Amino acid sequence: MTSEEEWIMIEDMIRQLKNTCEFMIDLAYSALIFDDKDLAERVMDLEEYVDKLHTKFELKVLKIGIKRKEDEKNLLGLLRLGVATENLADAAAEIADIVLRGVEPHPILKMVMEEAEEMVMQATISENSILNGKMIGEAKLEEKIGVKIIALKREDKWFYNPPSDFVLKAGDIIIARGFIEGKNALKKLAEGEI
Amino acid sequence: MGTQEVQYKPLSVKELLKEMKNLSSLMIDLAYSAFLYDHKKLAEEVMRLEERVDYLGYLLGIQAALAARDREDAEQVSGILKVASAVDKMSDAAADIANLVLLDISVHPTIHSAFKKTEEIIGRIKIREKSVLINKTFEDLELETRIGVDVIALRRGKDWILNPNKKIKLQVGDILIARGSVESIEFLDKLSSGKVNKLPEVAK
Repeated sequence: MTSEEEWIMIEDMIRQLKNTCEFMIDLAYSALIFDDKDLAERVMDLEEYVDKLHTKFELKVLKIGIKRKEDEKNLLGLLRLGVATENLADAAAEIADIVLRGVEPHPILKMVMEEAEEMVMQATISENSILNGKMIGEAKLEEKIGVKIIALKREDKWFYNPPSDFVLKAGDIIIARGFIEGKNALKKLAEGEI
Repeated sequence: MGTQEVQYKPLSVKELLKEMKNLSSLMIDLAYSAFLYDHKKLAEEVMRLEERVDYLGYLLGIQAALAARDREDAEQVSGILKVASAVDKMSDAAADIANLVLLDISVHPTIHSAFKKTEEIIGRIKIREKSVLINKTFEDLELETRIGVDVIALRRGKDWILNPNKKIKLQVGDILIARGSVESIEFLDKLSSGKVNKLPEVAK
């Protein structure tokens, strides 16, 4: 591997860490909106995942750093970035913890989350929904109603960032991110009203 | 960047928490971008946002304490304070990342050179005196259609406006935080500094 390729890999890992944290934060906020312990549990699972990702990242940085005799300043920066990322994940977990402890959420919390420009929403796909049997890519939810499916629960299994060829089925609980205008449209599509 | 003294202001807990939440999300985005592209000015904006989030956190604490009238209230308010403290922690983490840029311990130089061409970046652009953008609204400018940049935030002095309204008129000294390709951000920079005075036509 050339030095450039190695650094591109590091950058990919940074993006992956960042995306996972942002996803955790979104999920934690939605756990709060829906007062949903199940979602909160997923945040906790993701925290463990971030821990593992972080360790992998640290090892990679050190490996490349030692091999290429990198300037220690660069390595320190990257390692500290990893620590800060882990702190972000911890903060998301703290929000999920509120839900898990059964502290009844103040109505204000729900209002704050729902008034955001972009929000996380949840819908269950019904038998007669046009989404039933469609691939995520085919459904073109992003183009049509401006929402993106970020996670999905089928029976007891969770799928994060399902790929565009993932086929939706009746009974799937989808978690999506999008503009508030898309919320009702998504609900209607999932329930088979449109 | 002096520390702002805390004074009681009758802002609602809801508005305060909403602003804290939105600003902290913006900070995370800006901080990683500043780190990956070694962008010091952007890192400084993250530090300013951090100061703002801290300040809002104090105001929220005061408001929340006033809101609790009995045991039940107090329980619910404690939930709000917990969320606020987690949001504050997120903004601290973002500021830590930005600080790496300011301390000059960010990344290996090849990282940004390798990605600069294709990736969407976040730019920080100041509107200068000779700019053609002055006194124009976002509606007039149609920056997204004309040059492909999305203005995600605007700072005017100490005030931050997220996803600015189309009717806002740009002024000298405004700081725009925008997302777009390297070329489009560079073009916006030329428009803001007055080096270019003509906006491209809207593609039909």
